[in-house]
Amino acid sequence: MNAIETCDLTRAFGERVVVDRLTFAAPRGAVFGFLGPNGAGKTTTVRMLAALIAPTSGSAMVAGYRLGEEDQDIRRNVGLLTESPGLYERLSARQNLFFFARLYDLDAARAETQAERYLRMLGLWDRRDDPVGSFSKGMRQKLAIARALLHEPSVMFLDEPTAGLDPEAARTVREFIKELRTEGRTIFLTTHNLPEADELCDTIAVFRTRVLRIGAPATLRAELFGNGVRIRIAGDAEPFLNVARALPFVHAVAADGDVLNVSLDNPDEQNPSLVRALIEAGAAIRYVEPREHTLEDVYLQLVREGEPQERAYA
Amino acid sequence: MHKALIILQKEWLELRGERTLLMTILIPPLLLTILPIVAVYLIGMTPDEDTAQLGAVIADPSLAGLSELELGQAVMGKQFGLMFLIMPLLVPATIASYSIVGEKMRRTLEPLLAAPVRTWELLLGKCLASLIPSLIITWGAAAVFVLALRLIVLSDQVYRVILGGGWWVLLLLGSPSLALLMVAATVAISGRVNDPRTAQQIAAVVVVPILALFVAQLLGVVVLTPLLALIASTALAFLAILAFAGAILLFERENILTRWAS
Repeated sequence: MNAIETCDLTRAFGERVVVDRLTFAAPRGAVFGFLGPNGAGKTTTVRMLAALIAPTSGSAMVAGYRLGEEDQDIRRNVGLLTESPGLYERLSARQNLFFFARLYDLDAARAETQAERYLRMLGLWDRRDDPVGSFSKGMRQKLAIARALLHEPSVMFLDEPTAGLDPEAARTVREFIKELRTEGRTIFLTTHNLPEADELCDTIAVFRTRVLRIGAPATLRAELFGNGVRIRIAGDAEPFLNVARALPFVHAVAADGDVLNVSLDNPDEQNPSLVRALIEAGAAIRYVEPREHTLEDVYLQLVREGEPQERAYA
Repeated sequence: MHKALIILQKEWLELRGERTLLMTILIPPLLLTILPIVAVYLIGMTPDEDTAQLGAVIADPSLAGLSELELGQAVMGKQFGLMFLIMPLLVPATIASYSIVGEKMRRTLEPLLAAPVRTWELLLGKCLASLIPSLIITWGAAAVFVLALRLIVLSDQVYRVILGGGWWVLLLLGSPSLALLMVAATVAISGRVNDPRTAQQIAAVVVVPILALFVAQLLGVVVLTPLLALIASTALAFLAILAFAGAILLFERENILTRWAS
């Protein structure tokens, strides 16, 4: 069962299409990364899915409720961490949480319990009665996360949860997201932090007004760059290009100084044959290593390919 | 209604921490209370021919038989008594404008709108948060005025003239409607501007009918009888309810969010 499903979800502001025919499904309990450059339409997408703004066309189901028809139910069952924490600075941490817990239909006793639970969990209990205005950025972000969780939503939208945080605070937030995932919640995460997305997400969508590609990070790497190995040879690698090219399972090969970059389907099975062929051709192999591509490589490749295609909404 | 009360409670908690805003709210009513008391007292001590002549041209039978000094007190007291109708317009405008525009400025509106709260609940909570203090302040200040008059007026008749039936009807029935009218206007405007002062200044247009009544009474065109006050209060109540409904309709969550909260 999917926690979020969209079909051709589109949002235009006047003539400008910001989200164009977005179609995807996020399974229950998964961390779904939504990556894209600034102005790509990520926040608009989050706002649509959290029933804050209406789509221009298309449909979506969020937490089992139909967008546009059951918006109050959606709001009741999702948690939203907005880009800016948006906390009441003159109120204490506990007052902030208590207020939102009550808005999410928790009775006073449960609101107190939940506020305490998350304040303790995020290490803010000792500062519970201090005004939020005196909190550091990291503390505010943690408090905003606690606010999004008070009513135990099944789906959480986290918009740039670690943006602007120092490494320690960012790490705490990441660890907390991992913990949420183990609780079976679905997390829709927008971030610019690609190593973070790689670490946390089961599936990512690279997005720029429209979806450029969706898949598991490892699958996207393989799809875009294939599997590959780097073979360092004693001396120039150029003379061995044709030896590698002649092998039927090699898709591509390039020489870079003393390194031979080879793309193939299944390195585990095909590496021995490749190495044997090179040795037979006289290559003195120093070492063989898998060729790693980061999510950043995937992202940059996709974003560069996906020219901004703004179309007038018809 | 339950969520409106939760919002009301939060608004008051926030207001308690806004010392500057509290001063802005409390100083004008304080002045509007002291000024009439001092003025009525001084006029009762000083014979003034102009005021006496003014009393003669005002077609108000309740002024008949008053001495020159009493007439001075009665005419001025009646005029200053209208100040207490301006008070329910001043206080809520300040609170309401900070309440909505403040949320936009502090970027707290998006999490609030993401919660399962209906627009009418949100606006009712915010309206009540400014309406209730304004009525407490207005009625409290009026109580001080009434008690002070008891001590400073020259005769019981002057007291009865200043605090006539019309004044009481407007104070008790008209001021809640006036306050709601002002809050609704401020809330509606606050959704469209990004500075609390701009919202207050535009909403201040609601004061104009009160000033018109002030001038009309001074010129003797209007005598504020209980019946007239009752009719005016009923009309104001209708207007206030309409204005509140209008404010809900004009509060476009989506526009406010995409224009201001990002």
